[in-house]
Formats: sequence, structure tokens, C-alpha cells
Amino acid sequence: MRRLRIIGVAVAACLWAGNAAAQISQQALTTAEVGQIISQAVAEARARNVAATVAVVDRVGNVLGVFEMTGAAGTLRVTSGKGIARTNGLEEVQQTFTNLGANGSPTRKLGAIAKAITGAYLSSSGNAFTTRTANQIIQEHFNPGESFAPSGPLFGVQFSQLPCSDLSVRQATNGVPTGLVDATAGPKRSPLGLSADPGGLPLYKSGVVVGGIGIESNGTYTIDPVVTDQDADVEEIVALAGQSGFQPPDDIRANRIFVEGKSLRYIDQDVNVLSSTPANTPTFASINGTQGNLVAVRGYYAGGALVAGTAYGNSESGFAADPNGDYNGVGGTVFVLFNGNNPPTARFAPRDSISPTTGNGGLTTAEVRQIIRSALRVAFASRAQIRRPLSSQVQVTVSVVDANGNILGIARTFDGPIFGTDVSLQKARTAAFFSSTTAGTYLGTFNSTVGGTPSTQNANGKTISEYVTAVRNVLGSNALQDGTAFADRSGGNLSRPYLPDGIIGEANGPFSYPIATWSPFNTGLQLDVVFDNIATHILYTDVGGANNDTGATCSAFTADGGTQLTRISNGFQIFPGSVPIYRNGTVIGGVGVSGDGIDQDDMVSFLGLHDAGIALGTGVGNAPPARRADQLRAPGGNLRYVNCPFKPFLGSRQNNVCHGK
Amino acid sequence: MANRAAYGAIAAVVAAAMLAASPAQAGKERIRTAAPAPQPILVQQRIPQRERRQDAIEPVAPADLSRIGPPQPNLPAEFIPIPDRWRLIDNLGVKVNFWDPYNQNTLKADRPLPGTDDFFVNLAVISDTVIEPRRIPTPISPNSTQKPGTNDTFGDGDQMFYLQNLVVSLSFLQGDTAYRPPDIEFRITPVFNFTRAEVEERAVLRRNPADGKVRNDVHLGIQEAFFDYHIRNVSRRFDFDSFRVGIQPFSTDFRGFLFQDNQLGFRLFGNRDNNLFQYNIGYFRRLEKDTNSGLNDLGEEIRKDEFFIANLYLQDLPRLGFVSQFTILHNRNDEDSEFFFNKNDFIERPASFGDERLHKYNVTYLGYNGDGRVGRAQLTTSFYYAFGEDNHSQLNGNLIDDNADIRAFFFAAEPSFDFDWFRLRGSFLIASGDSDPFDKKEEGFSALFENPQFAGGDTSFWIRQGIPLIGGGGVQLTQRNGVLAELRSSKEHGQSNFNNPGIVLVGIGTDFDLTPELRLSTNFNHLAFDDTSNLQVLRNQGEIDEEIGWDLSAAVIWRPLFIQNIVLRLSGAMLLPGPGFKDLFASSQGADEDVLYSILANGTLTF
Repeated sequence: MRRLRIIGVAVAACLWAGNAAAQISQQALTTAEVGQIISQAVAEARARNVAATVAVVDRVGNVLGVFEMTGAAGTLRVTSGKGIARTNGLEEVQQTFTNLGANGSPTRKLGAIAKAITGAYLSSSGNAFTTRTANQIIQEHFNPGESFAPSGPLFGVQFSQLPCSDLSVRQATNGVPTGLVDATAGPKRSPLGLSADPGGLPLYKSGVVVGGIGIESNGTYTIDPVVTDQDADVEEIVALAGQSGFQPPDDIRANRIFVEGKSLRYIDQDVNVLSSTPANTPTFASINGTQGNLVAVRGYYAGGALVAGTAYGNSESGFAADPNGDYNGVGGTVFVLFNGNNPPTARFAPRDSISPTTGNGGLTTAEVRQIIRSALRVAFASRAQIRRPLSSQVQVTVSVVDANGNILGIARTFDGPIFGTDVSLQKARTAAFFSSTTAGTYLGTFNSTVGGTPSTQNANGKTISEYVTAVRNVLGSNALQDGTAFADRSGGNLSRPYLPDGIIGEANGPFSYPIATWSPFNTGLQLDVVFDNIATHILYTDVGGANNDTGATCSAFTADGGTQLTRISNGFQIFPGSVPIYRNGTVIGGVGVSGDGIDQDDMVSFLGLHDAGIALGTGVGNAPPARRADQLRAPGGNLRYVNCPFKPFLGSRQNNVCHGK
Repeated sequence: MANRAAYGAIAAVVAAAMLAASPAQAGKERIRTAAPAPQPILVQQRIPQRERRQDAIEPVAPADLSRIGPPQPNLPAEFIPIPDRWRLIDNLGVKVNFWDPYNQNTLKADRPLPGTDDFFVNLAVISDTVIEPRRIPTPISPNSTQKPGTNDTFGDGDQMFYLQNLVVSLSFLQGDTAYRPPDIEFRITPVFNFTRAEVEERAVLRRNPADGKVRNDVHLGIQEAFFDYHIRNVSRRFDFDSFRVGIQPFSTDFRGFLFQDNQLGFRLFGNRDNNLFQYNIGYFRRLEKDTNSGLNDLGEEIRKDEFFIANLYLQDLPRLGFVSQFTILHNRNDEDSEFFFNKNDFIERPASFGDERLHKYNVTYLGYNGDGRVGRAQLTTSFYYAFGEDNHSQLNGNLIDDNADIRAFFFAAEPSFDFDWFRLRGSFLIASGDSDPFDKKEEGFSALFENPQFAGGDTSFWIRQGIPLIGGGGVQLTQRNGVLAELRSSKEHGQSNFNNPGIVLVGIGTDFDLTPELRLSTNFNHLAFDDTSNLQVLRNQGEIDEEIGWDLSAAVIWRPLFIQNIVLRLSGAMLLPGPGFKDLFASSQGADEDVLYSILANGTLTF
């Protein structure tokens, strides 16, 4: 047995070393392949007598084609199926558009794009996730239906990649947009955020993610509250036909990946149920114009012709290896973002803090670099929770912001799922924001840009400052101004429809709606501050004309004095994976991590900052323990700050590695 | 797998050697000993006195010394009228004390009820008190904590557990209990239970962290409620056929490896050929358990889980003094229609494990069990082979072709040798583990309801304590009062689970009878998983060693009055974690306190 153990350790070490050296190959979809994928999906839809809208995107969210079968156009009804009425978040939002005279909005095309982006963004060479996977991990219990169990690990991720994000790039069909997005390449936004409606799958070539396919055919954009049954979801089956030839390897599918001992859902049916034979599918040319058309989607796709995908890892995709040497020697290949210009230029290289300035204690370029380096080093040394094979390294994106949410640096391990790019920034900003002494005041200056009356209400009539009142009712009148350090896990505790999380019968957290009106389409503060932006964007894409697109920053607050950037310019995120950055007791920023298990995300941010603080010796580090939100007593007990994972590191038996730090 | 091969070889050799050789017994008169009957768990059944009647007056010496003389005519002056033979001693001036179970007592079925000549009542009252400090791996609640500064997954593992049971067993018997089995018996055994648990982390005792760190609970469980009917005698030596219907104790084997519980069933049983053969044919449908006491809960719907059992005990097979038992048991579980949550709001069925879809299974166990002496040694063995079908594997991830075949085995042997007042025991046990979580075979051995009296029993840390598989689902790595690493939600409520790592136990133990009232026992057990591939997948963790570690324990049993009515026991156990255990758990927040312990102070008072 001892001999076996030695062999085992040696093998693990080899795997680990192998992983560190590995880099995924560059793969991309050709236009012919995009046509084949669409044609396969259309054949299955026809065999099932449904009219589908098929969207195909590449790994970074470029829309490569949107094919609307004859009769497929129509309104997308948004509903969780819980019977929640209009004006509650996105629930029944199509009725709101009808009232505004925008009949038919949102269109089904948007649903198809959101699903395709979700399939592509959640997946990597280590994990193949679908919109069904997303559905399983964003609900009030994990698993959905397991009463009393805490919420899904990615609770709230559906409101990322938002159309108002200052990070997510706009499609080139409209030229370089105004505002802060200084790039044409890189992760694209999604019209409705990420989708939990089955019918979105990833596409692979040679084990590498090359994109995603999304199907909308039933006109309902929803969730599946029951995951213990086995659905025969037509949208999913049509997507499965489209995916034929571009499937992920069996071994990395969600159903082989376990979180808290629970395997994740990949799909509910397999290729045996197909009514068509993908191998015999007619050419795309033979169906284009006869069975439907490539249709334009303003802000996403010009229509008319198929587009080839970009290869992730090539700077044209917006992601490639760091050219500046900022992250050499951290244990693996590090990717950064690129802007798509000619010649391509890296985005978000480490820079000095803007607010506070470096003279006033803000992070210096060297400090930002060290924080990201330390975090990436932790990631490369750690055991992934959502990747196969076993003993894979954690793959994530790390974002650092200053106290006002200005981006100071973003970098990622080479195969982190794309969604984590935007989400890590959301998390970093959320931690920095709620840890500031002006958070409460700031939220009170919410300023609707689409005619909320008064302007402190959003277009659904929700008053943002009421969340401040609610949180003070729970945590005391000094909350959001007393300088308590909120990690995203702590704020997340307050953003669930039950407090404590998952416990049926308990009241809602102060940043959430009560369970009666809560749904993944109506989360609370997180959605209410960006609802106007999403509504504006939908009018722009579907109707156009005088309807301008939302700006490249989410939400608006009069406290910002008219500058376009807000402190939460790509929206709040409410699941764990970030901590605020302190220097000598003062919050000066935040570090956010996304892409692996939430405990891993927590640890990479917390330990990364801790290690950087030791390496720097400049007073930078985690919040003083006495200031952290886990000192606060909420119903059920103290809030959590971070939860570092069991058996965190590869090749080590260490546990409880965040204790005492 | 290395464990299985090495230890398996050792055990096979030892067992074979013991069975093969015991020349000392050859040629001696065959003495037929009674097979140890299945022992009730909670109630000690008192067997009515069987004392030989003595004739008061001997005849004068006859001429022929071999001839028995004629009876002496009783003289009228010496004749004392008595109502029946039971009340003889009253007339001799002995006072009956109802509190004294050791002399003739109507409450203990020593004498018939007044006004009857064959109706008896048997009352037993047992107080069982447990105080149990322990340290076991304890998770920090993901949604809120007890105290600030808890940044990790493993919390403070110190716990205290208190239990008080009051068992009241009442039987009504009809029959001439002194000479043959009673004709009819009604018995009811309510158990009044109080438990208190104290832990250091929230959401451990109840799902809601708001419920804090202490849980007090009371429950009234009905552990026996049956009617026993003596159908007939089939020989002059009272070989018989009986049936028993209702909640009754039953054990499938000598040591409680497969099933030992008090459950609702119908059982036909009896013996033949001067007790040479004993048989049981039974059907049981399981009652739901109370979560915190483990006692039967008649307030809940009966479970959709049933089993059929037939077994045959053969004495003196293969050799004198050794009892062999052959068993076939078929378990049908149909609990695939609704979620079941326990009293503390944790999900039990389906287990929060794998894809967490509802499923059901059929499994048949073929078993051989042996118990007895082989020469100077005692030997207990048990072997089961389990086969059947799970209609949906929670691990393999298949969507259409999602069923799996169950193929698993279990083997245990415990030889022991007595040297005067000192007994030396060896223990070996293997339960097969599943080697591939994604295939269509489930090879991990899982029992119905184990209660093993083996390798130290509840003195041992591993057997006594339940250890949650933190990070691997809402299942227990090992159950309280269980030796298997079954990965089921709980022994009380959960379904059997054949997707598990299996277990290999090798141990050595001693019993020292220091004085007639004082016994010291020690156990040194080495534990390992058979195959950790399921654990690796459940935790998405590639590096999990097979070696669990060393389980060291000692127990002192003191019977201050030399009787079983007052038994005090103090035991202490510690688990020295091996690499496999360290791959899975930390026992406290700081990494230093690696040793896990279990202390058990137990007092049992019996009337």
C-alpha cells in the first residue's frame, strides 16, 4: 500500500506538473462549421415540427449566425413559472414592453443568443456546462427542490455579462461604442445576461471550447424548478442535434463533475432521442432562404452571412498570453485581455489606483501586479472543484479594482471559463463598494435614466434606497457606513430569499425579495439597479430607431456627479469570490475571482491578497479581522466572510489554510 | 485493493486452519449445544427458573440398591395444603418482594397471575444512561457561523452527547413456562428517550443555523409490540413451530452485520431434531425511525422497504461445538416517489449524493455465518454476497441506460483464544468497495441496518461515531454504530448505498477478567478503504489514500454486585488519522489537533 501511495503521489505530481505546462490548442469554428451546426439544428426542429431560432457564438461571445426558421419569430415571454407578475424584475417583462408600444419585445432571438453565450462562457477544456447546469446552480436551493439546502453556488450569475457592462465588449457590427469599452475584441456582452433555460450547449473541437449554440423555439424564457425528473425539452434536443460533431469529451461533462457530492446536470436527454440524423443533414446553403433566414440582431449580428469564430488564445479573440511578462513564474501560463486593435494591445495591465490616488494610500502598479500574481499562484497550486480530470488546477480570472471600482488589473489562468472575466470584476467591485463608508449614501442617490418617477425608482417602480433601510433594520443603523469589510460571501448572505440561506420559513435577506416574489428573474438589489439598462438595451436591439443603446456602464447615481463610470459599472455580483483590499485599516479596493468552485474563488482572492500583503510589506492586505462582516450577527448567526475549501492544494494534505489569516 | 489482497490471504489461512484442526474433541460424546439465539437489542429476556424438583423424603434403603423404592405415604399431620406448586415457598415463610428480581416474583413470570395457573406477566425495566464526549470532523455552516474568524470548511469538532433511555417491557404469557416454551405471548416495549447534543458549530444538529448549538429532544419509541403463538410441538423434547407477528427484535446473524433491529414483521420459526436445526422464515416491512433517538416512530408513514428472510442454523457443522447458519435475504426498496426529510430538516431520501434523483433497488443477500468453538479457540465468521439491481445509479451519470447491477461482498472473521482469565481476539473484516463510479456496476457492500458487535463494537471510534463526508454530499462516511463506509444519508432513514469505498479492518483485541466484577477490554484496529475512487469523484479530489488510520480503544466494565442488573462501563477510543483520513478531514480549525476521540460512559440498571 505504501508503494501504491508513493506511485499515486508521483502520478499526481506528474499530472500537476503536466497541467502547469499545458496550454490548450487554438481552435475556431469556420463558417462552414457554423452552417453545419445550424443546419443540423434546423433538421431536428423540422423533424419535430417546431420553428426554432438558432444562434451560434464563439467562445468569447462573437455571434457567428442567428438563423430564424420560418415562423420562429415572436415574442419571448420571460417567466420563472412561479406566477409572479410584471414589474417584478424581468418577470413578464414582455407585458411592460407591450405597454410601452414595443409589441413583440423582447424577441426570441435575444433568448437564443443568451443561451448560446451561456453554453460557451460556462465551459472550458476542463468542464462542459450548459444552460441546464446554470439552472441547477442559481436557484434558492442547491439542488433545486432540496428544501432547506442553501442556495446554488452561482446564485446571481445570470445577471453578469450585462449589456451595460464596461468590460464586456460590444459587437463590431456597430463599430466601437461610446463610453469606456476601449476594445472590439474580447468577451462580448449578452442581451439578457446568462440563461438558465435549457437549450444552450457548448461546442467543442478537439476538446477545446469553440463556442456555444442556443435554441429558442417555445417562446418562453424560463427556468426548470425540478431537476430530479428527466425532461424532454425540445429546445435542448434541437441544440443537441446542432451540437453533433462538436460535442465535449464525455469525461468533462457536467454530469461527471461533483460539487458538495452532487453531480451537475449536463442535459436531460441524449442523442438517442434525436428525430433527425445529423450526419445526413443538408448543406446550410440549401436551407438558407428556404427554411428560414440569417437575421440581423442590432448590437450583435449583421445578418446575411455566417461569421467565422475566433480562436481563444489568439489575440483576435481578445484573450492571449500575457505579452508584458507581468505574471511570469506564477505556476502556469497567464492570459490577459486584448483590445482587437492592429497591432493588438493588452488591456488591463496593472496600473496605479485612481481613487484613492497612490499619494493617498491607493494601490500602486507594483502592488496591483503582486496581488494578481499571488492570487494566480494560489490558483495554479490549488485543486479545482469543477474541472476534470481529477487533480486539475484551479482556472479563474482575477480582477483588482480601486475603492471606486476603477479597473486596476485583470488576468487569468489560461483556461478559465470566460464568464469569470466579467464576474470577477463584478465581485471585486461589489466587495469594494459594500466595504466603503459611503455605500449607503451612494445607493440612495440612484438616478433612473429611463423615466422612473421619482428618479430614485427604477422603471419597475422599485426604490433603491429601500434596500439601505432594509439592511439597517437587520444589521443596525450604522450598516453600510461603519466601514465593515464585506466580502462577496457576506453580502451574498444578505442577498438570498431566506436568511439564513435556504431555510424555508425564514424571512428574506435585506438585499433580496421575499420568496413569494423572488425568482432568478427578480433577485432584488442586484437586478433592480440594472433593470433600466437591460430594458433600454432590449428596446435598442428589438426596436431601434430613436431608442439608443444603454451606456457602457451599469446604473446611474447622482453621487457620481455626471461622470459616466459608476462604482458598479458592470453590476453587482452576489455569490462568493472576492474580498476588499485594505491598507492600514482603510479600504482601498477589491480583488475578485471567478471561474472555479466558489470556495476556490474565495480562497484565491483571500489567500492571494494575504500572500501579496506579506510579499509587499506595504500595509496592504485583508481587512483587519475585527472589521470583517463575520463579526456581524444576523438572523441565524454570524455572516460568513470567506469559506476556503477542503483539501485546497494539489500535492498537499493541508486543510483550513485560511484559518487565523 | 492492496489491503484486500494481503489481509484476505491472512484471514483465509487463519480461518481454514482453525476449522480444520481440533483433534482434542474427536471421539467424545456429541453434546448438542443450543445455538445462540438472536439477541433482543434492548430487552433482556428473563428465562423462567428451571430448577429440578426435589422429593423431600427419601425411602429407606431398599434391598435392591438399584431399585427405586415406592413412594412414601404422606402422613396427614405433615400435609400442608398449598394452592399450587408455584406458591410453595409462601408456605415455607418466604416473603415475596416485588422489587427483587432475584427471588420468586410474580412480575418476573416466576409465578402465575393470581387466580390463574398458567398466565404469567413478565416486567422488565431498564435504565440506560450514556454520556459521550467526542471529537469528530464537523463542518462550518455555509450560510452562517457561530463565531467570527471561521474562514474554512472544518470547524471545531468537540461535541457532547447525552442519552437517557427508560425501557419498559411488559409480557403476558400463557403456558407452562417452567418446562416448555410458552403457548402464547403478548409483549409491548415502550422506550422513553431523552437526548441532548452539544456541538460547537451551527447547522450541524438542525439544518437551520438559527437553532444553535444545542439540541434537546424526547421521543417515545415502541421497540416491541408482538404476539407470539406456539403453534405446535413436533417432538417429545419440545421441538416446535411458532410464529411471531408485530414489532420484534431480529438479527440476521451472530454479530449484527446485515440487519439487527426491532422492526415490524411476521416470522415463522422453530427447531427440529433436539434443537439441532433452527429455522426462521420472515417478512419485515420497515418502520420509519425517529431521527434523534433512532427508535421506531409510529407517527410516520411506514417505509416502502421490505425484506424476506429465510435462514437455517445447523449445530455441530462442520464440527462439534460450531454452529453454521445459511441465509437468504431479499430486500426490496421502492422509495423512489417522494423526498423525505428528517426531523432536523436534512434530506434523507434520496440521499444528497450524486445526481440526487429518486431511485429504488432490489438486492438479494446470500449468507453464511458461523459461530462456535474450534478446539481451544472460538471463531465467528460471516460472509455475504449481495446481488441485485439499482434502477438508477446516482453516480454513473447515464440518462437513458441508467440502471446498475449490484455486486458486492462482505466477509468477517473473529477468532479468539482464552488463556485463563485473559482472552485474545483477532478481528478481520472486509466490505467490498466500488471500483468505478461511472460504470453500470455498484460493487460497494451495503447492509440493511447494521449494528456490529465486532472488533470492540461501540467501544471503537470508527464503529461508534458517525462521520459526515464533509464536502462530499449530505451523507455519512460511516454511520453511528456501524463499521461499513456506506455513504448513506443515515442508517435510520437512508436507503442502502452500493456506491461506496468499502472498508478493510484488521484488529487485535483483548479481554482481561481482572476480577469477577471487573473486565478490561482493549482493541487495536487498523482501518482502510477498499477503493477510494467513489470518494475521489464525490469530492472532485484526485488524491485520497486508502489508509484511514488506527483506532485504539479500551473499555472497563464493572459489575459492582457481580450481576448483570447493574453494569457500568467506561470506554475511551481515539482515531489516529492515517493519510486517507487526513486527505478527507481536519478535526478542528487549527491543524494541530489531529486526534479524534470518543469517550463513552454508560450505566445500565435492569429490573
